[in-house]
This record gives sequence, C-alpha cells and structure tokens, in this order.
Amino acid sequence: MTMRILTAVLRTIRNSRRLAIGLLILGVMVLLALFSPLIVNAIGGGKDPIEVAAYEKWLVPGPGHLLGTDQFGRDVFAMVVKALSVSLQIGAIAGIISTVVGVIVAFVAGYKGGWIDGILSTFTGILLVIPTFPLLIALSAYAKNVTLFQVGVMISIFAWPFAAKTIRSQVLSLRTRPYVDLARVSKARDLEIIVTELLPNLLPFIGVGFASSALGAIFGLVGLEVIGLGPGGVVDLGQIIFNAITTGALTLGAWPMFVVPIVLLTLLFAALNMVNIGLEEVYNPRLRGVAGE
Amino acid sequence: MKSELELRGVQQRFHARGVADGYITAVDDVSFSLAASPPQIVSLVGQSGSGKSTIARNVLGLQKPTAGSVLYGGKDIFKLNRAEYDEYRRDVQPVFQDPYAIFNPFYRVDRVLWKAVKKFKLASTREAGLTLIEESLRAVRLEPENVLGRYPHQLSGGQRQRIMLARVHMLRPSFIIADEPVSMLDAQVRKHFLDILLDFQTEHGMTTLFITHDLSTVYYLGGEVMVITKGQIVERGPVSTVMHEPSHPYTKLLLDSIPQPDPDQRWTSRIAVDELDDLEETDAQAAPAPEAPIL
Repeated sequence: MTMRILTAVLRTIRNSRRLAIGLLILGVMVLLALFSPLIVNAIGGGKDPIEVAAYEKWLVPGPGHLLGTDQFGRDVFAMVVKALSVSLQIGAIAGIISTVVGVIVAFVAGYKGGWIDGILSTFTGILLVIPTFPLLIALSAYAKNVTLFQVGVMISIFAWPFAAKTIRSQVLSLRTRPYVDLARVSKARDLEIIVTELLPNLLPFIGVGFASSALGAIFGLVGLEVIGLGPGGVVDLGQIIFNAITTGALTLGAWPMFVVPIVLLTLLFAALNMVNIGLEEVYNPRLRGVAGE
Repeated sequence: MKSELELRGVQQRFHARGVADGYITAVDDVSFSLAASPPQIVSLVGQSGSGKSTIARNVLGLQKPTAGSVLYGGKDIFKLNRAEYDEYRRDVQPVFQDPYAIFNPFYRVDRVLWKAVKKFKLASTREAGLTLIEESLRAVRLEPENVLGRYPHQLSGGQRQRIMLARVHMLRPSFIIADEPVSMLDAQVRKHFLDILLDFQTEHGMTTLFITHDLSTVYYLGGEVMVITKGQIVERGPVSTVMHEPSHPYTKLLLDSIPQPDPDQRWTSRIAVDELDDLEETDAQAAPAPEAPIL
C-alpha cells in the first residue's frame, strides 16, 4: 500500500518538470532549515557563531567565513541558515492556519449559501478591509515577548480572508455543475460531495492560497522585524536584510548580507509557485496534453 | 417498487431583480403523473426558458418547489424516511443535457459507474461489479475496453452520454428523467441514443420523461406529449393527435418551426420572437385548458 502511494507520487513528479524543480528547491531549503542547528554548530566549531563579537566584525567573504561577518562580528552564513529556518517556520505556521480556516469558511459559505453565506461573507469582507499592518504593530506591542507561533497566529488572522474569498467564488461556480447533481442523485452526502467532487478541482486554488499566505506571513514578519516588534530573540531573513541596509553593508564589501537573504526569498517564492503550477498540471488532466497517457 | 410519480400543483419561483414583484415564476401550477406500468415515454416539449428543466430538477429532488408537491408512491419526496428515500433515489434516475459537464474532469469515467455500483450496492465483489459495468456498457453499444480507464475529455459527446445510459441500465430505475439528453449530439448519434431509450422501455420496463425542445425527436419516440410554455402545460395528449391536430396556438407555432430536410420546403415565413409573446397574451385563454392529467 505504502509502495503504491510512493510510486504514484514519484510518477506524478516525473510527469511535471516544474513540480520537480519546485519541490527540489523547497526540499533543499527545508533540509537546510531542519539541519540548521548542526550547520551552525559546524561553522562555530564548538562556540556560537551568532554570538555578538564571536569574530572580528566586517570580515569579507573567504574560506573561514563563506559569507563574511556582520557589524557585530557574527558569521553571516550561520545567521542566514538559522534565519531561513525561522522564516520557513513562520510561513508554515501562518500558511497552514490561514489555509485551513479559509478553506473551511469558503466551503461552508459557498456550498450552504443563504444566510450562512451572508454572515460569513460579511465577516470575511470586514477582515479584508482592516488595515492589517498597523493592527499587527498594535498587537505585537500589546503582547510583549511574543513567540514565533503567536506571531504566526496573529498574521493568520488577517491572511485567511484572502484564501476564503477566492475559494468561495470557485465553490459557488462548481456547486452548480451537473456532476454535483449527479453525485446527489447517487446518494452522496454534502460532506462527501465537498471532499470528493469539489475539493480536488480546487487544489490549485488551495495551493495558491497556501503559498500566498505563507509568503505574506514571511514578508509580514520581515516588516515587523524592521520596526523591532518581531518575536524576541530570533533572527529571520528580514532582519538580516534590515541590518544590511541600515549599516550600509554593501559599501563595506559585505554584499552577501544583502544579496543572499533576498536570493533565498526569491527562490522560495519561485519554488512555491512552481509547485502550484506543477500541481495544477498534474491534477487537471485537460492541461496534460491531448494524448493523455 | 412503488409505481407512480406525480406532480401536484408544482410551482417554482426564483428571486429576481428588476422584475415587477421580485420573482420569476419558472413553473406555474404544473400537475401530471407518470406510471411505471405499462412503461411509457412521455415527452415534455417547450422552448428555452419555459420551465421544463426546472420541472426535471423538481422531480429529481434537486430543487424543492415553492408550492405544490412531487409525490413518489403517494408520498412527498422531500418528506421520505430513510428506506423510502433510498428506494426513490434508486427508482428515479436522470440523464442530463450536457455530456461534457456531467463528468468531474478530475476522475476517469469509470468512477461514475463504480459509484453507482457502490452506492446502490449492486454487486458485492469487485469482479461482479466489473462484470455488471461491462454488461451495461455493451447494452448501450459501447466497447468497455474503449471507454474504461479514460478521462472524460478523451471521449466523444455521444460516448459520454451513452455512459450515462449505461449507468441507468445498471440501476434499472422505473423512471428515467431525461433532460434534453440529445440536444448536444449530432443527428446520427441522436437516433442511436433514442433507440436505446426505446429499448429500455420495451426490454426493461422503464418509463421515461423525455424533456426536449425538438418536436422531431418527440415524433420519433411516440407515446404521450405535453407542451409547456411559460411554466404552464398548455396541451397534452398522444403524440399523433397533438402533432396532427394541435389545439393550442403555441403548439402550432412549434410545429411550424421544424426544419425540413427538403430544399423545396424551405421556411417561407419568418417567425419573429415577439410573435411568440403576443400569442401568449391573446390566445392563451382561448385555448382549451387541459384539466385532467393524461395517463
């Protein structure tokens, strides 16, 4: 059984080059993040390379320090690896929470319709027009010493309506399809219709919802870090960029501090999108080309 | 099996903006009944927007009428208990209009048939189920190896519509509600499809409510016919009578609108669309209102 699922997954990946590349990039990043404590240890060689004044400050990239050191003498490579793990975590937390909430609200509203849809849509609409960032600032300032998870939850509160709105409109259009009627005359229940008839056709939208919430959260955290309201004691990719800008790292030859986090964020963005497009190709047989198999 | 399907004063209104009273009445006080024995074909004919598809949705239990009731075996289909509901579902099955949209593009076409096998417990083992599916596919003149394992977009419209017939063949309902099943098929496939429906009537004793806008297919099928316009049934009777001695002006108009495959019999006059509307207002009362349901 496990083997069958595994071979099915492998075949799916082989069918789409985009999906393969996207998953590869994402996989490498997740591996880097998972092994970040080991990598940081290896770089430090016994002591903490991210400690203030661990090394001399503003060392240029070289064999000892692949990406040089920053204004406090911290190893930039170690910082980037650790920050990547933080950024991926916040993306995963906020992405999962807001996708799950968004999908549930969208399906209940879109499928049930009537006054339930009215209430849920109004609520979603209200959350959509609230200016998110000022509120996040207020919330962070109010809740001192917030953890990474709490920030994730706070960002999700304002991220799920986007997913809910797009998916709801799709549910509205899909639920009137004849195949839904056919399922109903075949004695399928509402939940069964939602899960087996509607959900598979909405996977690309759900995927996009997840990717945009995750990216929104990652960039949201960047914004909070910039004004010093991020979760205590962690360094994310945004903070490194912010440090690079405020200290003028580029003029001091410490270009990796600026370039590497941006390249990583861009790669992350590209990888998530490639996975999305790839999944859509795989799950929508019509895009697979005329011959099919 | 309970052997009667009856519509009693069914009315269906929809909310609409920009209309005088805020409602559009799609079906207006429609009553008729269908009997399972003897098996028969009853056609419901009307133009687009006359309410015929809404009636199909009412009969199939997909849309609850705003007034009146749909009775199956004498009971309202929206108030059936579990066992009665199961029986009704099994006994009243549709063939829909659009052979493209009826399949979920996500799945292979087999799923529709397997779902019927599983939901209605037609077979206890996989082998028995497959035998049943292959048998039904052959009954609608499809080669199982040509269609099984395919995706909907890899099959033609006629093949897809016949898969729906195979599904009906497996379930053996007493009633088939066929909502414009041939409107998207070409002439040759259409005849093929109608022949299968006639076979179902004679061989398996299925009664068909055949909804269409096309009088030539009605003529081919024979049986009884009801003419519906603006949500009301204005004429009913055996096909030969209605076709040769139409009593309602709308029926006459419909008959005049059948194109003839004969170059010497081209349409000489044009039918303006507002002519249709005028007809309704002036002549609707003049026509004898058919009171008692036929059948």
